[in-house]
Amino acid sequence: MSSEEVIVPASAPPMEEASTSTSSTPTVNTNTETPTEENKDKEDESMYECNICLDPAKNAVVSMCGHLFCWPCLHQWLEIRPTRKLCPVCKAAIDKDKVIPLYGRNSSKQEDPREKLPPRPQGQRTEPESTGFSGFGFGDGGFHMSFGIGAFPFGFFASTFNFGDQRAGLNNRPNATQYENEQTLSKFFLYLALLCLVGLFYS
Amino acid sequence: MFKLGKFGKKEKSKCEILTILPNDCVAKNGKKLILDNTRWEKRLHKELMSLISEPPPGVTVDAESVSENLSEWKINIDGVEGTLYEGEHFQLLFKFNNKYPFDSPEVTFIGTNIPIHPHVYSNGHICLSILTEDWSPALSVQSVCLSISSMLSSCKEKKRPADNTIYVKTCNKNPKKTKWWYHGKFFLMSF
Repeated sequence: MSSEEVIVPASAPPMEEASTSTSSTPTVNTNTETPTEENKDKEDESMYECNICLDPAKNAVVSMCGHLFCWPCLHQWLEIRPTRKLCPVCKAAIDKDKVIPLYGRNSSKQEDPREKLPPRPQGQRTEPESTGFSGFGFGDGGFHMSFGIGAFPFGFFASTFNFGDQRAGLNNRPNATQYENEQTLSKFFLYLALLCLVGLFYS
Repeated sequence: MFKLGKFGKKEKSKCEILTILPNDCVAKNGKKLILDNTRWEKRLHKELMSLISEPPPGVTVDAESVSENLSEWKINIDGVEGTLYEGEHFQLLFKFNNKYPFDSPEVTFIGTNIPIHPHVYSNGHICLSILTEDWSPALSVQSVCLSISSMLSSCKEKKRPADNTIYVKTCNKNPKKTKWWYHGKFFLMSF
């Protein structure tokens, strides 16, 4: 063994393994020349082994540098050296907020990982880039929101100050008397509101 | 583990142990054995199996010693060809505690032949950063063996560390209790 090869500290990350297998190293990958299914399965499995416990990763998280761990294993390591948080494999900076949880298809059925201590960090979602259509939708939503806020607390006054609108709709009204009634009713409420205001000022 | 014990008692030759162990233990009894073990023992088992089935060149596990006690391994290392240690044979003792792999193993040279090297004290203690502060749980027995082998191979002059006599007289039995000072890529020692 030459010194350079030897210095490489830990079990090499999966990417490197793959690259060496294609080049020339004969050691482990001689299996691939006679690919029985067992060997293939074994290799596939070892690709997804936690770098700490060497078992297939459970509650898997992957670091920004691409290394796979069980969340409990990695968490324990981060707890042990809170001042020097380094990736066990490549010594890149690593932190709770900088690992990505991996969710397999059936992983949610088994158990909610958050119920387990320590909780696994959440995945982060970023919205896809907005197209013209989605922009329109967003604007629509904004309109609704402002309407809701504006209308609700001042609903009392809003109904009284709507003269302009109602006059414009006068020709469409089927029943003029009903309109008059409404008009007087709204006037009554206007005076009532003014009365209330005046009362508030003088009390 | 029990299987290992049996082989040890039968005193089969090392070659036979190497060939029989992986298939026997892993395929038939592996699951049951592993389930009974705690986490650190489980990982040690895995490492042992891979070390036995695919040992790196010049590194062999003394399976008999491991069968007696999984937390203490004796490993034989051969001096690499073309280096100052060509033709020599060394023995390493690995001691694991139940915090492994989060805590580093205690690694020392044992036996009659302790390599003469600027980072190896005559009592077998090794000044190597990955054995203390640079330890990482992704390292393994195999990678430690390779690092030590590499450390020996890169040596240009066989000599003991400068402070060998003082250190050997005053040091703790456990090399992990020594406050090592590492210089650059490799290491010198102080108290």
